[in-house]
Amino acid sequence: MTTVSDIAPPAGGLSRIRWMDMAPFIALALVIVLGALLNPNFLSATNIANVVTRSAFIAIIAVGATFVISSGCLDLSVGSMMAFVTGLMILTMNKLAPTLGSNAIFVGAGLGLIVGALCGLVNGLIVTLGRIEPFIVTLGTMGIFRALITWMSNGGSIPMERSLREPYRPVYFGDLFGVPIPVVITALVVLAGAFILYRTKYGRRCIAVGSNAEVARFSGVSVTRIRTLTFVIQGLCVGIAAICYIPRLGAATPTTGQLWELQVITAVVIGGTALRGGKARIWGTIAGALILEIIANLMVLSNMVSEYLVAAVQGVIIILAMLAHRFIR
Amino acid sequence: MTLRADLQGLTPAPLSAARAAAPAEPGAPPPALRAEGIGKSYGAITVLSDVTLDIRPGEVHAIIGENGAGKSTLMKLLSGHVLPTEGRLLQGVREVAFPDAAAAERAGVVLVHQEILLAADLTVAENLFLGRELTRGVSVDDRAMNRRTAEVLASIGAKCGPRDRVGSLPLAQRQLVQIARALLEPRRVVIFDEPTAVLAGDEVTALLDVVRGLRARGVAVLYISHRLDEVEALADRITVLRDGRMIGTWETAQLSQRDMAEKMVGRALGHLYPAKRGAASAAPLLEIEEISVDHGAVLASLVVRPGEVLGIGGMIGSGRTELFEGLLGLRPAQGGPIRFDGRALPRRSVSAWQAAGLVYLTEDRKDRGLLLEEPLAANLTLQALDHLNPGPVLAPRREAEWLAKAIEEYDIRVRSPLLRAGQLSGGNQQKLLLAKVMLTDPRVIIIDEPTRGIDIGNKSQIYGFIDRLVRAGKAVVVISSELPELVGLSDRVLVMRAGRLVAELSGDEITEKSVIYAATSGAAARGGAAAQARENHTAAQAGTGQGAV
Amino acid sequence: MTKTLRRTVSLLSAASLLALAVGSAQAQDKRIIAVSIPAATHGWTGGVVYHAEQAEKEIEAAFPHIDIVVKTSPSATAQVSALEDLSAGQKLDALVILPFTSEELTGPVEQVKAKGTFIAVVDRGLTDPAVQDLYVAGDNIAVGANTAKWMAEKLGGEGKVVVLRGIPTVIDDERIQGFTEVMKDTKVEILDIQYANWNQDEAFKLMQDYLAKYPHIDAVWANDDDMLLGVLEAVKQSGRSEIKYALGGNGMKDVVKMVMEENAMTPISTPYPPSMIKSAIYMVAGQFNGQAPMRGSFKLDAPLITPQNAEQFWYPDSPF
Repeated sequence: MTTVSDIAPPAGGLSRIRWMDMAPFIALALVIVLGALLNPNFLSATNIANVVTRSAFIAIIAVGATFVISSGCLDLSVGSMMAFVTGLMILTMNKLAPTLGSNAIFVGAGLGLIVGALCGLVNGLIVTLGRIEPFIVTLGTMGIFRALITWMSNGGSIPMERSLREPYRPVYFGDLFGVPIPVVITALVVLAGAFILYRTKYGRRCIAVGSNAEVARFSGVSVTRIRTLTFVIQGLCVGIAAICYIPRLGAATPTTGQLWELQVITAVVIGGTALRGGKARIWGTIAGALILEIIANLMVLSNMVSEYLVAAVQGVIIILAMLAHRFIR
Repeated sequence: MTLRADLQGLTPAPLSAARAAAPAEPGAPPPALRAEGIGKSYGAITVLSDVTLDIRPGEVHAIIGENGAGKSTLMKLLSGHVLPTEGRLLQGVREVAFPDAAAAERAGVVLVHQEILLAADLTVAENLFLGRELTRGVSVDDRAMNRRTAEVLASIGAKCGPRDRVGSLPLAQRQLVQIARALLEPRRVVIFDEPTAVLAGDEVTALLDVVRGLRARGVAVLYISHRLDEVEALADRITVLRDGRMIGTWETAQLSQRDMAEKMVGRALGHLYPAKRGAASAAPLLEIEEISVDHGAVLASLVVRPGEVLGIGGMIGSGRTELFEGLLGLRPAQGGPIRFDGRALPRRSVSAWQAAGLVYLTEDRKDRGLLLEEPLAANLTLQALDHLNPGPVLAPRREAEWLAKAIEEYDIRVRSPLLRAGQLSGGNQQKLLLAKVMLTDPRVIIIDEPTRGIDIGNKSQIYGFIDRLVRAGKAVVVISSELPELVGLSDRVLVMRAGRLVAELSGDEITEKSVIYAATSGAAARGGAAAQARENHTAAQAGTGQGAV
Repeated sequence: MTKTLRRTVSLLSAASLLALAVGSAQAQDKRIIAVSIPAATHGWTGGVVYHAEQAEKEIEAAFPHIDIVVKTSPSATAQVSALEDLSAGQKLDALVILPFTSEELTGPVEQVKAKGTFIAVVDRGLTDPAVQDLYVAGDNIAVGANTAKWMAEKLGGEGKVVVLRGIPTVIDDERIQGFTEVMKDTKVEILDIQYANWNQDEAFKLMQDYLAKYPHIDAVWANDDDMLLGVLEAVKQSGRSEIKYALGGNGMKDVVKMVMEENAMTPISTPYPPSMIKSAIYMVAGQFNGQAPMRGSFKLDAPLITPQNAEQFWYPDSPF
């Protein structure tokens, strides 16, 4: 009894799926080629290092967002959470610097991770136990975190103690065997994220919950636990990003991380993760973050676009990338 | 016109073998729609070829065949949803082509889909007129639409009103709304795609009456169904499809249900139901006392013993699914105690039950059972992840092994193990679902509608699996709306009505008649003393139930 | 914020109590000055809030019969609502306002004026200058022009510079206008002008990109000190030595400190002091304390902050 419906998908099914997975990387390659054509300086080692290092924050946070989004939720609060966490870390380090010296940095970093995870936990618990749309919950906490950093800084900036700047500086500007430290940290985060998502029971359940929460529930998976944990992972990623971010400018201001949530979501979606959940492409997310940063870089390096139209061109490129996705399938 | 061939144990000759159908049979009215040598190919893959049939005004013409035999494709070809790659369509003597469904509807041919395609948040009238709203000036004319809707609803005996919100209606009423939508304009040909797949008992009867009403008004009806009893009761002629080809057309009187099944499968069938095992006497594995589920069951008590199939009968809406979902912690429920293997269960949750050794297969395999977008292996192992992997890490290679084993053990027909669950046929999905829960190594398996919407070949296999499990000392609870299945499988049957367990039947007491009687009428079925006592007990507390469905 | 809120609440309840007291002489004597300013969302507005609250504290301590109500608003529409709220329950003797935008606030301010309130406008003028009794503002064109003059002179009248601008607004346009007009008459070439939204992070990235794009840059001008901090970090990282000057503007305290310390790359800044709000409040308060009301336009000059005079611009406690 051969049933025809089981034969229905055309024979090309497999190769087609692979093309779809490759789409963000093809887009990345195209953008790089475009960059090389527009300005020879684009491929200079310094510029590439700059761009890749800069994309680290968005990439790290977007790894967390890949979890949240693939489980069928959304977190709009990441940008403000980032500002709040950096502010708290700097205040703590400044306070401890006189007694602990450079070791205050480690305490601050640990605090950043804990506070990030707690912020995520709050988001997650309100979403799951409160049964409120994640969009609304994180829109609310977005405002709360932003107001907190503004309040903590009196609307100005929270600068780090001069004595801490030099010892902390290498975390952004230093390198390990020639690879900038933030890139190393991003790589570690991605590897860990990919392992959790693709190789553990938790990751499998995360996708299942995003794919169909009812099926997951009927299969004995705790949707509440899985979704709450994705927000905690997101918070941890924000904490890690904050650790790399602080040494760059040594200050937190009310504009720190502004609109990052949109960049993060864009990176995740360009990377091939479905916004409705159930499909996670963590490597694609990294490609997405790089694409965004390279486009911004190209806007400055090329003389083709008027400064007034930069945002429009970026928007067009992002939409083109998504359309390419659609047609490659 | 043919000999009573079946008297001699021979297969009756088809009334019209494929091409031989004469367009103008003496005495027969001209067909409302005729297909000649019609078929459909996708590239190299032919899903249907060379089908010739006519649908006459005032007849019910049934199409039967296993899943994948090409029934859906045929209907879509006839109703303009899919363009044929061979053959032609005729209305009268005129050749017609339906480039899309709208063209077919203009020609009076409409398809009533199997899936409920309605907007849940709109009213019945708004759904009926969606996309073709009546207007007065620039504003929509709600009054006219409501009036017309009420007329159509009345003509098919639907109980809902034009202003009811579709989402608030029970499934059976939604099905009728869908039919009403198709009948809003006068039709010459109405095609039904398994309209009773989700209905039970008197809902089916009501729907069959709607179809008969159409026939009486001279409409030509094409009727696709898995339920051979329905086909036998309703159809005037039957066309059988198998593997994308047409086997033939017969007068209904020429075929028994068994003949139909054998023509569909293409071979002689053994017994559909395995031999019964008889009442089990072992100590109960599961004991439930006076569980009540919100909006479902009231003070239900039951025991399940190893080595038996316990059937749960009753109308849809009588609380069968709700009772077991409540038991599993999937719905709010109160009462107890609940004991499994003599021990009280710490809490009601799917995972706790699973750890104890009890699993539940949902009736809703598409929305609650399987992740249609995910690969087979991920679906197979989802429920048993903790059972199969001691640590937090997955073992991809072993997953492939488990899948290969399940495919073999449950005879899941897949072209490639890399398919997604949504790409399987209904029968194979059901087998995958069974394999999925069996990976947790359960001792009690509760299966809600084990064979809904799947064809007879897969059905008989699933009955075989159930038998195998029970003979291996496990207990299986089967919730079913299909009476023959309930009667054919069960060693013991509990019947629910309006949220209460009203009868217990065993041995020879298990007949379709006794189940229907218990499920619909106020008095206890002809049951044992225990059932009688239970009935008295519940009746005393129940007062008047809400009535069945 | 909380403080102002609490104050407003207590004020409102006090006002209602007074209204109950028939013919209260005290109510007649109490003078109310409302201050409506943008909420602290970045450094400069943070400074505005700080100085307004300082003025409130000092004046109320010195003159018990003057009550100052500071109200911050996060957007132009919120500021319109705030004006309505402020003027609804009480008679305002004076309003000191730093409008979000000129167009949207002109009408509402006019309505307040119609009730006999003295109007002082700070920084951004209204579209109808007749509405304002007193106008105190910085000179954005001068900020750009004075920086350009100094830079052109130091570069010897020729060289290559890159510019970072803020958010598309009048302030930004005027500063860029002042800068480019001066540079037009010199041989200094402006290589590039791009937006960095008055944001440190974006300025850091933009400067990195400028450095990648242009092999030789003589000087950088970021039209705000917040951005300058990002620029300096990027220059430091690049290790490029040909960049002689990186200048900002606004007189942010970190940058004033650099000027005081005679930083080689940033030896000057130009003030656009958020403290102008404080000056305006003081000028208004004067008329309730025996002075004649001060009317007219006061445009603050944009003198260069140099190591010699930097002390005057140094407010260590201000957040900006």
